[in-house]
Formats: sequence, structure tokens, C-alpha cells
Amino acid sequence: MSAVDTRVNLAGIELRNPVLTASGTFGYGTEFAAFLDLREIGGLVAKSLTLKPRFGNPPPRISETASGMLNAISLENVGVESFLSEKLPALPDEVTVLASIFETDIGRYAEVARRLGESSRIAGLELNASCPHVQSGGIEFGQDPGALGELVSRVRAAVRLPLLVKLSPNVTDIAEMARVCEAEGADGVSLINAVQAMDVDVERGRPVLSNVLGGLSGPAILPIALRMVWQVYHAVSLPICGIGGIATAEDALKFMLCGATAVQVGTANYLDPSVSGRVAAGIRSYALERGVARVADLVGSLEVPSGAPGR
Amino acid sequence: MLQLTHEGGGNQRLVIRVPGWPGFDPGQFVMLSPGALSGVMRSDPLLPRPMAVYRETRSGDDCEIEILFKRHGRGTALLADSLPGQRLRLVGPLGRGFQVPGAGEQALLVAGGTGVASIRELAARCAEQAGPMPRVLLGARSAVDLMGLSDFETLEVSLGVSTEDGSLGREGRVTDLLEDVLAKDEPFRVYCCGPTPMMRRVAELAEAAGRPCVVSLENPMACGFGVCLGCAAPMRAGGYALVCREGPVFAASDLSWEGMP
Repeated sequence: MSAVDTRVNLAGIELRNPVLTASGTFGYGTEFAAFLDLREIGGLVAKSLTLKPRFGNPPPRISETASGMLNAISLENVGVESFLSEKLPALPDEVTVLASIFETDIGRYAEVARRLGESSRIAGLELNASCPHVQSGGIEFGQDPGALGELVSRVRAAVRLPLLVKLSPNVTDIAEMARVCEAEGADGVSLINAVQAMDVDVERGRPVLSNVLGGLSGPAILPIALRMVWQVYHAVSLPICGIGGIATAEDALKFMLCGATAVQVGTANYLDPSVSGRVAAGIRSYALERGVARVADLVGSLEVPSGAPGR
Repeated sequence: MLQLTHEGGGNQRLVIRVPGWPGFDPGQFVMLSPGALSGVMRSDPLLPRPMAVYRETRSGDDCEIEILFKRHGRGTALLADSLPGQRLRLVGPLGRGFQVPGAGEQALLVAGGTGVASIRELAARCAEQAGPMPRVLLGARSAVDLMGLSDFETLEVSLGVSTEDGSLGREGRVTDLLEDVLAKDEPFRVYCCGPTPMMRRVAELAEAAGRPCVVSLENPMACGFGVCLGCAAPMRAGGYALVCREGPVFAASDLSWEGMP
């Protein structure tokens, strides 16, 4: 079984395997210790942090949809200082931790990044420029190439850690957003965040979520995410972390074949808190069965018939 | 899955053998994924359902647990259609349940609808204690809807039943029964689980009577262990508490019923 090298290098972050857990679906990691040996996965992306602690939206905050769920939590979190002093030290040293940043203006984004950059325990940052259910903030950056460029540039200047930018799917041209990130010095891109969506309670004649709009996640969005990873892979040379509805090794492999160096398991953590470890093991088995020496060699290995339509 | 019994009114009794089950406190719950596991992951319906643990039966290292639930949507229909021998995904026991009242304290348990499943274990543990016999008030729409009645009848409790159509016990709501009991001015501690409007009414009646009251909330949740943050309940002091981790049992006086889903 030792014949497969499962390590990947994502934007300068050495991962023992390509499976991370997605921000906002994995708490601060310790919540999963009862279900999963965190050393079985490549690492975790902690819940998005703001400068100050933040409460979420009023209920109802979530709703089940066809093969997915809507959420409008609104980035409830403990704040960057509590994360550094309480949450981070509670994780075993062997666990690779990426921190996620969210804020409402560029200066505050940069300040959170600077604080996190002071910790030697954090392997990299993921810039959440794309939360689909906060009224002011992320999504404006995620949808406007000019604003995104300025945000990436300022955060880049504030921190030396490897910097991934998490892209919003709620744009016309995802490749353009990835190019902006590349031009402004990001080390990689993560995609996709939740798809902006809503649902209606017909009995009551009201929106299901108190916030009206929310983010759709789960298996329903996997094909959308895959398409976007494929497009971005061909648009930039940045490494990609693929996200969107991944619940099995097969799902993860689809993203890797389309060009993702690593992947994140998100909503599936809710229904099966040990699933990310099995996704990692399944990728290894796939490589072993096919005689692939390095899991990294699978990245972008999709065979497209010559003459097939472009991307 | 060992056994599933249809008990009328859409009520289902599911018996599951759970290897490594650590035991549970009354009021704790499990997250039960909809339908039997197969080689293919089920993506629709996607999310597990929070279900109160009704009862456990131990024999050596093996443990069987019972879940009572009502078939009312796609997820519960899949569970109701599962077959003996099939495997289910269960995460639990979860949450902070009821604190069993001390010997000598007079417990008054009030439940409606599927909330009945959340209080059976508490009723059983209260019944085992020395001291005043616990009172249990159960309400349902109709006799056929009332779950678990025969289990309560075998407990050493003083049982009152109401149905909205009068087909069993007193006609009306369980809160009508509660008003009569509270009027007796005994030092009850009130324990409640049921639909939100009912729990709110119970909390108000208990507060007016100067009786301490705890309720077990049933807010929708995706994970059950504190990460989806979907089950937030508004608190009287401001902010939110997670039903899955800080609850599901709360002191009624800590909750803000305005905005409770």
C-alpha cells in the first residue's frame, strides 16, 4: 500500500493528501475529533474569521433542497483573536490548518490577514471574497473584478503566508476572476463557494430563509463547480482547490482530473462527519489500482477527445 | 435495523442495534440519515433527521435503541420503508438532555405530537425515584396519532391524555390539562416537548404559576454537533444558542419565543 505517494503541494502548502475540509462546514476542527482522526485528511480550512466576533442571522437559517441545502448563517464566528488563542491551540500539531478570512471592507480584511500571518501554526490563508448571504461584504468583492483585484492586492501585501482566493460562482465569467487573482499575486484559487439561491414556503407565502437569499451547497452544485474548475484550469496557471458537492472519492477525483490540485469536502461533513477520511482513502485506492505512483499526477489528466468543443 | 412497526396515525417505531452505544440521557437525540445505506451515497433527501432516543435495551455489550417518529415527509417515509437487516447511519447520542429531578421533587411532564418521544425516558427515570409520583400529560390531534401511549401506561406515573377531537381522554389541547394541574398549586417542575406554539404556551402558563419550566426544542438542523449553525435559537438575553449543542433542553426563561422557528 505504500506504493502511492498521496502528497500534493497546494500553492506552497505541503499536504499529506489532497483532501481538505471546507470552511464553514468543519467548525474549528475539534468538533470532528470524535468522528475522524484529523491526520487522515490533508488538512482543514477553519470557519471564516472576522476581526471581531460575529453573530449570525435569525432563524430559519437552513433548508433542505433537492440534493442539497440552503444556508444563510452569515458568517457567525468567534473572531480572529479567540481563534488564535483558543481554537487553534486545541488542534493537534500534525493537523494542517488553513484559516479563512471574511470582512466587510478591504482594510479590515488586511488586518485579519496580518494577525493570522503572525501565527506559525497556520499553513495558509483562504480569502473568502464570496459569501452569498451577507448583505454587505464578500459578494461584492467576489463579483466585481476591479474590487476583487484591489482586495487580493491589499491582503497579499499584508501577509506572506500562501494565499488562496475562494471564488464566487455567482459571476458571468469565472475565468476572468481567476486571472485577476493571478495578476494580483494570489498563490491559488479555491472554487466554488455556494451558489446564490432561494426557496419559498408556499403554505405561508413567504421565503423559507429569514435572509430570503442563501447559498446552495451539496451534490446539487457539483456539476456547476466541476465546469468552473475546468474553465479556470485552462485560464490560469495557479493551483486550484476544487469545492462543490464532494461526498465521495469519485467526486473528488472528477475535480482532480479537471485540474484541481486538492479538493475540499463541505456539506457532506454534516451528514457523515467521518466522510473526508474515506474520500482521502478512496483517492489513494484509485491511484493504487491504476498504478499511478503519485496522486499529484492525476491533476488535470482528463482525456478530452480531439476535436471536442472548447472550454 | 432490527424492526419497524407501524403504530397507526403514521407513527413508526424503529428498533436499531447500535454497536458501541454509550447510553444516553433523557432528552438526548440522534441524527438519523434518511433510508438504508447502500453502496451508493444517497443525495436526495440529503440531510439526516434529528430524532429523540425513545428507549434503550441492553444485553451484554449489545444495545438496541428505539426511535418513535411520524411519517410526514420524504425522509421519514424512507426510514419507515427501511427493512430489517439494512444498515442505517446514526450519529449520537447528541445534545444536553433533561436533568432528572431530584428525589422528592414533583415532576410534571407535558408533551404533544412527536414531542412525546422526547420525554418517555425522563418519565421512566422519574418513575423509578422515591417521592411523589410524576405527572405526565400527553396531547395529540386524535387517539390514533398519540404515540407510545401503552409504554406510558406501564410506568408508575399519573397519566393525563387529551385529544383535539375528543377521541381519547379530554377533548381539547394538552395545555388545557396543564392549566387544571397548575391550578392545584403543587410545587411542580415542568418538563415539556412538542410543537413550538405549544411549548410557548406551556412556558407562559408555568411562568404565570411561578413554576420552573424546561423545554426541549426541535429546530431544524443539518449536523447535530455544532458546526452547521442552522439550529440557532434566539435567547432572551440577546444572541443565539445552538439547539444541538447547548440544548435541545433549555430553561424556558432563557429563550426568546419571538422569532423561534
